[in-house]
Amino acid sequence: MSTIEKITQLSHRIFNTSVTEQNVARTSNPFAASNFQKNILTEDVFESSKKSTEGNVSFTGRLTAGSNRIYSTFVGSLGNIGNRISEGIESVVAFCGRVREGFVNTWNRLQELGNKEVNFDGAKEVLGRDIKSFFNLNTREKEIAKMAAMNPREEIAPMLTESLAALEADMAKVA
Amino acid sequence: MEATMIRTNKNFNRVSDIIDSLTINPSPDAVGVLEEIGTNSSIDEVRELTSKALVKRNEFDSLSVVITNRGKGINDLSTVVAMSTINELLSLEDKEVAMSVLENTISGDFDEEVKENARSVKALMALS
Repeated sequence: MSTIEKITQLSHRIFNTSVTEQNVARTSNPFAASNFQKNILTEDVFESSKKSTEGNVSFTGRLTAGSNRIYSTFVGSLGNIGNRISEGIESVVAFCGRVREGFVNTWNRLQELGNKEVNFDGAKEVLGRDIKSFFNLNTREKEIAKMAAMNPREEIAPMLTESLAALEADMAKVA
Repeated sequence: MEATMIRTNKNFNRVSDIIDSLTINPSPDAVGVLEEIGTNSSIDEVRELTSKALVKRNEFDSLSVVITNRGKGINDLSTVVAMSTINELLSLEDKEVAMSVLENTISGDFDEEVKENARSVKALMALS
């Protein structure tokens, strides 16, 4: 068999998988097939062998403010689906139409929000500080400014002497 | 009381605030109060704060207190106080008044130890 013939056969196999792989049983990764649509899956390969996490959806990643808003918009659009099904007030066709419409609206909304990510880093940094430090800083500065306008001999000197005596007493206690 | 502990003491913070207020007090009497009460304190940390405050005022009288007096400022027996004062002198943006006081001290009628310290600090300031 010549090289050209080998290549022809190979390309035929690659681009016509329906002919060559019609009845292949797939027990592992179904996505390994190059042409998923035309293959026949003989087993339910989507069933997970792990049952421990069923019903629990965990999300450990960080959500940005924009993401939170997006997810809440999406969830909000699907919020009353369960009620509508259980009450049977709509036909399946009408229900599907509404879901589709809701999803399209949500998608459009996401597109709008996509480019309007709000950056809260500055606010986060400010709020992360100890709130008491703001008040202490202000009161201390105000107190110093107030004392700076007082008479050093008549007002400040007695205050300094008194504070020093209290400090020395504290030090004597510790010692 | 250790240095780290004293700095968290409520009364020390009060003393520190008063000394800070005297640093910016425009009255010349502020220098006298700092010299009489602050630099004579038995607590090293208080003397350190006082010396720094006097340097920060950057006036002839306030700088004379920390440069020409034996046992005060750059001549303090505590190495921490002396070094902090020198460091504060080196940090001054305008060193003109400080250099003038140092020169007067070197050429004046002072203890040889005081003159020697002034000479060393002047050399450091000239290099900085």
